[in-house]
Amino acid sequence: MSNIAGKAYAINVITPVRWWTAWVNKLIFWFALKVPKTLNGLLTLSLIHYARWVIIGKNEFPVLSADQPKEDLRYSYMLFFSNFNGSWEQYVDSFTFAIPSGLDMFWKWNIRYPKSVPLTPFHDYIRYNQIQTDHYYNAYPMASANDVKSAKKLHLALMDFDARLDTHATDDAFQKSFHKLLRDLQHDMSMMHHTPIVSMAAQSVQMRLVADRMRRQNKVEA
Amino acid sequence: MTKALDLCDIQGNVVRAYGRFGFPIARYLLLNVSNGWGGRAWLTEMIPYVTNSATWGTGPDDAKRPKATLNIAINHAGLSALELPLESLNSFSTEFSMGMKKRKDITGDVGASSPEHWDPVWNDDANHKAVHILLTLNAITPHALENQYQWVTEQIEGSKGAVTLLDGHRGPNGQLLPYQEAHIIFENGLPTSKEHFGYTDGIGDPYFEGIQDAPERVAGRGKQMSDGTWQPLATGEFLHGHLDEAKEYPPAAAPILLSRNGTYLVYRKLHQNVASFDTLLAREGATYPGGAELMAAKFVGRWRDNGAPLVNAHDATSKLQWDADFAKASVDEKDAMLSNFTYDDDMSGARCPLSGHMRRVNPRASLEIKAGTCPGQFLRNEGAFDTPGALANRRRILRRGLPYGDSAKRDTDQGDHGVIMMMLNADIGRQYEFVQQQWVNYGNDFREANDKDVILGNRSKHVPNSVIHQADPEGDAPPRFVRNIPLLVETRGGDYFFVPSLTALRLIARGLIDPT
Amino acid sequence: MNRNKSGNAYALTMLCPIKPGVEGNRIYADLIRDQLESWNMASVSPMSLVPNTYLCRFFVLDDIYTESLPGAGIWDALSDIRLIPSNEQRLAALPHTDRLQSRYLVFTSNLHGDVDDYLHGMWQSIHVEINTIWKYCYGFENVNDEVSFVAYAKKCCLDTSLFFVGSNDDSLAAQLKALYVKQEFSRFAQETQDLSASQLRLAYTAFMQHIKPRDVEQPTWMAGSTHVDL
Repeated sequence: MSNIAGKAYAINVITPVRWWTAWVNKLIFWFALKVPKTLNGLLTLSLIHYARWVIIGKNEFPVLSADQPKEDLRYSYMLFFSNFNGSWEQYVDSFTFAIPSGLDMFWKWNIRYPKSVPLTPFHDYIRYNQIQTDHYYNAYPMASANDVKSAKKLHLALMDFDARLDTHATDDAFQKSFHKLLRDLQHDMSMMHHTPIVSMAAQSVQMRLVADRMRRQNKVEA
Repeated sequence: MTKALDLCDIQGNVVRAYGRFGFPIARYLLLNVSNGWGGRAWLTEMIPYVTNSATWGTGPDDAKRPKATLNIAINHAGLSALELPLESLNSFSTEFSMGMKKRKDITGDVGASSPEHWDPVWNDDANHKAVHILLTLNAITPHALENQYQWVTEQIEGSKGAVTLLDGHRGPNGQLLPYQEAHIIFENGLPTSKEHFGYTDGIGDPYFEGIQDAPERVAGRGKQMSDGTWQPLATGEFLHGHLDEAKEYPPAAAPILLSRNGTYLVYRKLHQNVASFDTLLAREGATYPGGAELMAAKFVGRWRDNGAPLVNAHDATSKLQWDADFAKASVDEKDAMLSNFTYDDDMSGARCPLSGHMRRVNPRASLEIKAGTCPGQFLRNEGAFDTPGALANRRRILRRGLPYGDSAKRDTDQGDHGVIMMMLNADIGRQYEFVQQQWVNYGNDFREANDKDVILGNRSKHVPNSVIHQADPEGDAPPRFVRNIPLLVETRGGDYFFVPSLTALRLIARGLIDPT
Repeated sequence: MNRNKSGNAYALTMLCPIKPGVEGNRIYADLIRDQLESWNMASVSPMSLVPNTYLCRFFVLDDIYTESLPGAGIWDALSDIRLIPSNEQRLAALPHTDRLQSRYLVFTSNLHGDVDDYLHGMWQSIHVEINTIWKYCYGFENVNDEVSFVAYAKKCCLDTSLFFVGSNDDSLAAQLKALYVKQEFSRFAQETQDLSASQLRLAYTAFMQHIKPRDVEQPTWMAGSTHVDL
């Protein structure tokens, strides 16, 4: 199992919602989309690649065959999937320290949600309702969400710079405009490399995987 | 609301950095406990002499200022050797229980900083010489230090082998000593607060509720609020048994009396490669328009000579003005000039680079980032977070410790000099380890991908070894790349200790801790 | 209301009921998990072959675990009002424990573009691997080509209530190319810091010819690659 792929962490949280208040959750989400300011804190944290909330009604679990027994549920369910950078603690803590009211707004109508402050009951709530990912794929494990955003900005700026180049300009003029380009991109030119390890457990699993792979390779070659 | 702390119960090194209170020299001793009963008996003898946090002075409730101080910290193996009940032992945090050595991949102690290169005193577990107890002695004069040391060693001998003083601290000339010495650096016979790269150190220190400090000193040291004022940080960020910034009691060992008024101490001996540093500075400073001293200031965020913060003295001209104002300022005003500042007007990093050491270990409100109105500019996204410093408030650390060794001879990296860091916090994982791993050895929160802190960053040929010094987005200069940064600091030893309150020490010594 | 889209990015969430059969002394759900674990052992995930996959994940949902704090609903509120609730009332006030009748394979993908195209592309690139995972699911016995796979997938899809895009909604190829350009340009800017103006210009021209910024196909980073030259 692995919740980690390079710089990204996959969190899956499933929590019950009273079926008769699920519509309120949907309304709150709709509101958040319409009024982007509500997501300001989340955007500023800049830790998330992509995240989604899915509300599945108690009668909405997919039925694919007549043989399949129908679900008989009391509650509806809120599924939360996020791809974020950093450790679990950093992510959950950032939510609590930086945007507790935002968090409360999304989870408020869940069954017995403990509120995001104080911290430990909230940690427990998320942890107990979290499900481990069996397989996680990241197309760019070496890049955080910040790196992806920064890359787009840099790429566009460079192509724009190139397109506007005056081939008749002197070398000095070129250098001056190049320096301006660097100034414009001064927050985008740090190089990317591996992530710091996210936990001792994950680290040992990683090392064991590499070692096992090498052992198998050697066995094959031998 | 401020609540008065029981200062008599808290050990003195928690509330005071002795070096700044007229105790310029120190010795740090590491001890092993080979039998619990004898160890506890020895501890009982020591307790009356442990320095607490009571205010020193001549008033009726004040304590008399000692000539030498004594403080005790114990690691997990040490608590076990003193026969603390298993249930209490298991209630300490994971980080503390594992110890620093086993967590080297998180702290980045790899390569040259890897434990196999540490002073021998840290690597002798097999011969029943494992490190258990840290005794810190600070003194006003060498004579007082020697007396204190003699007394302590006599007590240790009196334990008849139950407690032993461990040998194996590397000293000058490669010899192994039974203690680690540390002392303030003197320049021209006068005490300074410099360290071996030449920087003025030990300026900032978190201001938290309950410490008996002048209220105006909260500015710059506490937490930054949306209305521009500063508030003290919650006590529980630095002491167990008190509410922390998350409005709860920090996870701490059981029972309450064991952990209350105690805290964790992260001890690290950091060797400094002065030759590499000087070479780096000479090389980079030679081609830098602002000159070598400005370059040096950019590595850290403060000018070397007097600690002037770059945000308020960002070039030679403004530095001259700052110096003039500083010379005329009263003691309190000087303090404010040094500590009371924010990065609000320097979000882009044009004054203090985003990789500057000071900014990396305490970003204040500078992580509340939004794109500015012109390219290459950051502005503060006011109101995005609950409070401006929300991401930094729970990552603060009390710094104690002193430089060690002599760096008059600067042509080699093999000399014996560096700094003994002792960092105090209520939660090693959330505070020290987080800052070390995410902000010192990584740069994503600063939008700097994998770029590391210039001074502390662990380096090898496998990682990027450069940083960017940002320029004024509306000016003419390009940003400056500082490349091929060598490894400037190497870890030579360390561990995670617990600093018990006086109450807890007494209970441990009497074997009365019972978490039932 | 289709909130699965955010610009050109799409949030695909599939809940696929797993049949309760047994094979080789193990239930199907465990076999699926096993297969997914074997994907973890490969040097790169099969999903790296599926075009326009930003980040995706699989897990087997065995049951709904509810470990939130006890209490919920009207009986809870009433039991608060009554001074001494009866034992029946007290027990009724605890949250009901839901149980799922089937286990589910959960597949969520953050992708670029049209979801039908994506699912077609997924079948085209890895239909063999798809089969090893999905063959144990209800209704998959009817899947034997792209069209039937898409039809099956649609039946398993859930609607997103809120899709938050933290980075951007460009095509994967564009994102990978941009990352490549960022890395290479950063290196270039560093290495040329001390050059004279004329040297810089020459170096710049050579550099741009080398990285081909407008050619999205190459040179670029490979999807899923965990190795980058320093």
